[in-house]
Amino acid sequence: MSQSPSTRGSLALRIRDVAKRFGSAVALDGASLELRRGERLALLGPNGAGKTTLVRCISGRAVPDSGEIEMLDQPLPPSGGRQRLGFVPQEVAVYPDLTARENLEVFGRFHGLRGGDLREAVGWALAWTGLPDRAGELTKTFSGGMKRRVNIACGVLHRPLVLLLDEPTVGVDPQSRERIFVMLEELRDHGTSILLTTHQLDEAEQRCDRIVIIDHGRVIAGGTLSELIEGTVGAKRRVTLRLAAPGPRPEGFRAGAGPRELVAEVGDVALELPDLLDRVREAGGEVSDVEVRAPSLHAVFIHLTGRELRE
Amino acid sequence: MIGTVVRVGLLRMWHGRVALLLDFAVPIAFFTIFAFIFGGQVGLGKSPRVNVALVDEDGTDLSRKLLEALAGQDTLRVYSPEGGEGGATVFAEVGPARELVLKGGLPLAVVVPRGWAASFLGTGEEAADVQVLADSSDPVATQVVSALIRQVAGQIRAEQARQQIASVLGPSAAPFAASAAARFTRPVGVEVLEILAAGKASPVVSMYAAGIAVMFLLFGAVGGAGSLLEEEESQTLERLMCSSLGMPRLLAGKWLLLTIVGVVQVTVMFAWAQLAFGVDLLGHLPGFAVMTVVTAGAASSLALALAAACRTRAQLNAVAIILILTMSALGGSMVPRYVMSGTMREIGRLTFNAWALDGYTKVFWRGLPLRALLPEVAVLVAVAVALFALARLLARRWESV
Repeated sequence: MSQSPSTRGSLALRIRDVAKRFGSAVALDGASLELRRGERLALLGPNGAGKTTLVRCISGRAVPDSGEIEMLDQPLPPSGGRQRLGFVPQEVAVYPDLTARENLEVFGRFHGLRGGDLREAVGWALAWTGLPDRAGELTKTFSGGMKRRVNIACGVLHRPLVLLLDEPTVGVDPQSRERIFVMLEELRDHGTSILLTTHQLDEAEQRCDRIVIIDHGRVIAGGTLSELIEGTVGAKRRVTLRLAAPGPRPEGFRAGAGPRELVAEVGDVALELPDLLDRVREAGGEVSDVEVRAPSLHAVFIHLTGRELRE
Repeated sequence: MIGTVVRVGLLRMWHGRVALLLDFAVPIAFFTIFAFIFGGQVGLGKSPRVNVALVDEDGTDLSRKLLEALAGQDTLRVYSPEGGEGGATVFAEVGPARELVLKGGLPLAVVVPRGWAASFLGTGEEAADVQVLADSSDPVATQVVSALIRQVAGQIRAEQARQQIASVLGPSAAPFAASAAARFTRPVGVEVLEILAAGKASPVVSMYAAGIAVMFLLFGAVGGAGSLLEEEESQTLERLMCSSLGMPRLLAGKWLLLTIVGVVQVTVMFAWAQLAFGVDLLGHLPGFAVMTVVTAGAASSLALALAAACRTRAQLNAVAIILILTMSALGGSMVPRYVMSGTMREIGRLTFNAWALDGYTKVFWRGLPLRALLPEVAVLVAVAVALFALARLLARRWESV
């Protein structure tokens, strides 16, 4: 599953100005992004932002009205030509009344594997998912996490160079999520470039190399977490002081959530926090608790997409 | 609490108005179909008529009188080569009429044998009854025509007797002559010859086996084709479309599976019919195999087209129940088509149940050679190809949007 030297360094996916309408509804409005070779890219966005449509355009299930999609430096036709692409849908899209091994075998065949290659791929997938002992059991008897692992394995049996995952960890426990990301890291280590959509911001923050945020059919921000923070909410920490009793608000603070809370932004916590505490004490206040919070992806996401509910 | 349970049920029914409509529409639709079948074509003003061929081997005035009286009956439609209502043909020899019945062109032929008039008048040496050459696949027609012959010939005999009594006793005794003739004339003999029944065990069972088999073939095929909708719901279809498989091969695979399962299903049904009821499956294997393969193929194509047209499994089930039961009722799977009127039989030919059952009847009942199945095979193959093409067209919605 290693990457060929001749293609190393180029882009796994390049999406430029892709637009797609469904009747009067605009699903994609000139979306552009790049997935680098061997990269894990998280695609974030509120409900209805266009994530699934973008993934469908890449997988060939939706035909863009305009724009270009290139995979491994080659233009992707509207359908077909996706032998090196893997796709894992959001639902557990395996046959519940087949065993894990049977599911892997049939999806391997659908991806063109035969004979020894198929046997080898199924053996690898069972080991990769940690399910060799359950290979002969019907998948409908599996836990949610086990089903998810089989679901992912069925999409990578043909060793794709680019893998699309639509919310691969939705509805599973922390242990299964951990296992799934270990599996995906293993794939990445062997050269597979991964684009995943998720609503789990911590997954994007901790498990992906870069993050792209899409809203109203357009990519509105992209980069590493620190780049996103720098470009939106800024890198300053938020310091929240809780007082023993309501008191005056010294200079440099703003009101917090309650009458006993004071909030300030600091660039260097070690240097600036003692001064903040001194100012409160000099103003007659008694600090009972201190909270320092680094800017998060959550703050970036809300900053970019707003708090309005998306239905 | 109980009221809330009722309220929940009513609200759910209201939100599923299509299903609610079907609950009312389906019984009305089936009542209407069966009223047409058994009610003598409600609203069309015509009674079911039995097609017959008339053969006059006797060639006497009396035999001509009998056949003319029969031809004048509303219940009968007398065969004529041109198919016209007015040009009724009376065959002089039994051969052509017998051939028509054997090949399924008519359910029966009425034959007035040589010497019938003499026997009828009591002047002949041997008794010669009117014969009905019957295709027992239509027992109702045989009963109807036999009764008609007895009635018409009885009236002629009574008239003959009345004239004889009146000629002896004079015109003043006419009322007495009529009642005496009615009281003392012998019943008229009718001999039914089952020209297709010889050597056949449980002849009608094969027709019912075919009828039930075709109906459940359709239900089975629709159930199997519904897996497409389940795969769509679980996104398995989306995954399949992203693989090397492609929609044409997916549909072809589904069609082949449904057809194989259908063939096995019908074969098991007929094997049971042979074991339990003596239907001669082994004796008709080639014809059975041809009819079963083309019928199962057509049923599979229909099921795939329905599945591709429907959006949900529930919708597919509702549409399938209506369509299959209607086709089965009109096509002869529930009620033999010979009890239906001519118009209803023609309507029934729009369903492929009717073509399939006609084919099975040719195989099991008439014992016709394979080439005789050509019309049925041609229609069923054409239906299979057309519906598969329709399914392919409708399935484009799953490929890309």
